[in-house]
Amino acid sequence: MPRSEGMEQALVAEAQAAPRAGDIAFERLYRSSRDDVYAYVASLLRDGPAAEEVTAAAFERAYRKRNRFDPERGEPRAWLFGIARNAALDELRRRGRQAELAAEPADLESFGAPEGAQHHERRLAVSAALERLQPSERELIALKFFAGLENREIARVLGLSESNAGTKLHRAMTKLREACDGNA
Amino acid sequence: METPKDDQLIADLLALRPAPRPEFAAELDQRAAAGFPRRTRWPRFSLSFPTRRLLIPAGGLAVVAIAVVTAVVVSNEAGDKVGSGGSMLGLTREVDSGSVPERPRSLEQAAEEAKPTVGASSAPAGATEIEPLSRDIKPQAQNRAVERNAELVLGAAPADVSEDSSKVFEAVHAHDGIVMNSSTREGKPGEAGARFELLIPSAKLGDALAALSAIDEVRSRHEATNDITAPTVTTGELLQDSKARIDSLLAQLEATETESEREAVEAELAQERRHRSRLRAELQHLERRADYSRVLVRIETGAADEPSGGGAWGVGDALDDAGQILAVAAAVAVVALAILGPIALVALLAWLAHRAWVRRERRRVLS
Repeated sequence: MPRSEGMEQALVAEAQAAPRAGDIAFERLYRSSRDDVYAYVASLLRDGPAAEEVTAAAFERAYRKRNRFDPERGEPRAWLFGIARNAALDELRRRGRQAELAAEPADLESFGAPEGAQHHERRLAVSAALERLQPSERELIALKFFAGLENREIARVLGLSESNAGTKLHRAMTKLREACDGNA
Repeated sequence: METPKDDQLIADLLALRPAPRPEFAAELDQRAAAGFPRRTRWPRFSLSFPTRRLLIPAGGLAVVAIAVVTAVVVSNEAGDKVGSGGSMLGLTREVDSGSVPERPRSLEQAAEEAKPTVGASSAPAGATEIEPLSRDIKPQAQNRAVERNAELVLGAAPADVSEDSSKVFEAVHAHDGIVMNSSTREGKPGEAGARFELLIPSAKLGDALAALSAIDEVRSRHEATNDITAPTVTTGELLQDSKARIDSLLAQLEATETESEREAVEAELAQERRHRSRLRAELQHLERRADYSRVLVRIETGAADEPSGGGAWGVGDALDDAGQILAVAAAVAVVALAILGPIALVALLAWLAHRAWVRRERRRVLS
């Protein structure tokens, strides 16, 4: 039975208006990763406005490349953080300065208020200990605890094996703990 | 294995986690909802997918157009070098000026084409297949003696053979020529025809050929020249020598004193006079060859014997042209590949080098 022309047009319009599966998946990825990407980029750049620019650029770049993403080659978050990492490192290259992983001073002000001076001091010590780590070690910690990536995702972002990423992360944490003890 | 102290450290790290400003988060959400419109400081050249999809056939069309234009241009240049006439696409042209049947457009045009206007007195000795009529040679330029021969084949309907033959006679007489030999045959197409062996004053050869070409369809036209300056000059000099020898013998004859001497000189004189006669006849013959051009005119009926490329442009010519176009296109492609290949290789190497450099720089940032 032939469809009427009006029904056919309505179906076509509906199909065009409906978001594609790729768009839905990207929307989900964006919602789950927005703050994590910002946290990671901000920890690399240590510059709020620049981190916002780079975060937006990273999502824009990822959105443009979303059709090229191959799920068989890794998790979407690892892919997205790879893009964000390249964008952040390019920004650092442009500035010609070394990456320094540390929380922004403004953030520190908000830590201690509800929990007291002891917490505040301890976090200042942790922040100072982070400053003394190698940039690559600080990046590992940022990926793990600021961005919330799994070890296999970190390995994917950094181009390492999962066991190697785990080992390096463990060493970085050990150094951080020692640095915190030294501060204390 | 995490100790309680590790838990505290992790909690402190999580507390240090930078958080985006709510304004920025809201703005980014809006941009995400809008499909991340580009907002880079410098607008980058980028094509949307439909545009890129159109770019492929457009690029293909451009390549084909360039190949066709190049093929036509190259073919025309080649054709211009070879000669005139030929197929519709100008790809099958021949050296022979008359191998392609052509209808005379008008008597004046044909006469203009055939008129000898350009001198070529330095033609090499020996028979030479000469250039088309449009580049005629003056029959005898200054001191040179040039013999010219021409052959003209006209196509006619069997019923027109008789009338065309009469026109041939008229044209010959109008140009002070001589019909040395003629034959006319009537019959069916292919059998009927006529043949004329003519002598035309070389000075009027161009006009005569133009007039003859105007009689009917020209199926072929050939001209040839033969520079006979050397034998003419040599014969003239020998004739002068012979005259001088005769004068000398006559003087000796007057001076003879005995009968035997007189008889001997007279015999020698007779022999020399025969020699002079031969030389004079030979010189006259040479001068006549230069003064008069031999022209063979044939009137044919029926289908023309078409050499390759002759006649109307047909399927065979189309296939020939297509083959030549493909060959030229292939040549153009090879040349393009020879140019673009190294450029593409250099670009690829540059891109790889740039990528490696960027990766190294990114690593250095965190080292």
